Amino acid sequence: MKKIVIIALVALLATPTMAQKFITRTGYIQFFSSTAVEDIEAKNNQVSAIFDQSSNELVVQMPIRGFKFEKALMQEHFNENYMESEEFPKSTFNGKVTGFDASKKGVQKVVFTGKLTIHGVTKEVKEEGTAEMKDGKLMLDAKFMVKPVDYDIKTPSVVADNIAKIIEVTMDLDLSLKK
Amino acid sequence: MKNLFFILAFLVPVSLLAQTNLLDELNEETEEETVYTRATFKGTRIVNSQSVETVDKGVLQFMISHRFGELSDGPRELWGLDNSQVRLALNYGITDWLQVGIGRTSTDKTFDGSLKFKLLRQSSGKRYMPVSIVGFTSINYNSQAALEGSLLEEEPQARISYAHQLIVARKFNSRLSLQVAPMVVHRNVVQTREQDNDIFVVALGGRYKLTNRLALNVDFIPMLNQNTRLVEGIEEEYLNSLSVGVDIETGGHVFQLHVTNSRGMYERAFATETFSSWTDGDLYFGFNISRVFTLVKPKEFDESTSSIQVL
Repeated sequence: MKKIVIIALVALLATPTMAQKFITRTGYIQFFSSTAVEDIEAKNNQVSAIFDQSSNELVVQMPIRGFKFEKALMQEHFNENYMESEEFPKSTFNGKVTGFDASKKGVQKVVFTGKLTIHGVTKEVKEEGTAEMKDGKLMLDAKFMVKPVDYDIKTPSVVADNIAKIIEVTMDLDLSLKK
Repeated sequence: MKNLFFILAFLVPVSLLAQTNLLDELNEETEEETVYTRATFKGTRIVNSQSVETVDKGVLQFMISHRFGELSDGPRELWGLDNSQVRLALNYGITDWLQVGIGRTSTDKTFDGSLKFKLLRQSSGKRYMPVSIVGFTSINYNSQAALEGSLLEEEPQARISYAHQLIVARKFNSRLSLQVAPMVVHRNVVQTREQDNDIFVVALGGRYKLTNRLALNVDFIPMLNQNTRLVEGIEEEYLNSLSVGVDIETGGHVFQLHVTNSRGMYERAFATETFSSWTDGDLYFGFNISRVFTLVKPKEFDESTSSIQVL
């Protein structure tokens, strides 16, 4: 009898927990390059992300063609010449969020650690950000710097003064419970 | 107790497997999108012929085209450089699929007005379309002063001609794009009774990207029915236009350098009135410069405070 109870308990424990997963397909990422010659800004509203509460894993993916620029020609050059988006259509972050407690209210400081893949090049990153559980939605925000040269993105000497060596990236994701 | 350990050992890995590959789960959820092909060509013209590209919404394109005299004129004429013809043009994107343009060529003092509209866009992904198709229609007006007794004086409608074209293009990969574009050029008035008022041509064009910013272009326009002209009472056939050039792209400018046997820079002139021959070496060097200005910002940037930057 006791054995059956123990086995039953273990079986229950071992059932994969229906872990809370949060998802969005309309996340926002923007990047900003500032030089003496000009400022360049691009916005992407088609970022998708999924967060697994049980493992704290976070995957963020964005289509490069989703970045919108003020100048259409700049957008075209960004895709054709710099990001080569036909060959590398998406950028991905695959990692973990640490320091997050879903039960706490308010904005919490968290750390995003993992692999960031841009233009086919993957690098380990560790960036600070914030997380907040608000009205059943998970809000993840971060602001960090990226160097195009780290990801093999080449700037021709002709426009070297127009594009910053370090680009500021802002991430604003509102994830809802995945049903 | 040993049995319990065994059961636990098997059950724990199962729960881990269920959580791996979050990326796949995300991709499952995300719907496949249609990806529309962009930048089939670097500019709105291949060399002479219209390309399948139109100017983006809210963007004004300014284009200066130069066509010099014959290279065979030799060093005295600086290989034709002394004898330059200019076409100035402005093209504006009313919407992403409709472009309006005006231009003026110094030869014949001809004005041209045009509309270029997208009918189909090449796409992959959710919706597959193998080609991009664009329509082009233009009217030319010869504003030269009419000499006494000339055709222009007798029949003023002779000043006007039209060109209508259907452009079908495919971007095969990031390097190669090809285009087939049948066109009809209509002249209100022609020289002789035997000549056709409508000349049909098929513009065949292509570009091969050598580097991200350098492309090689070829533009060949065979006539389907022959156009002729009277030279001292004798009917002479016009020749097919053939041009070879390179596109150099820098920031906001596209420079096009080319060699062609066509003296003209608007549709009727280059497609149906080419009199120089490649085999005789009667070629013209030319270059186009086009520059774009964003006049109307996309709505996402309405609140942006940055002024219009001229690169």
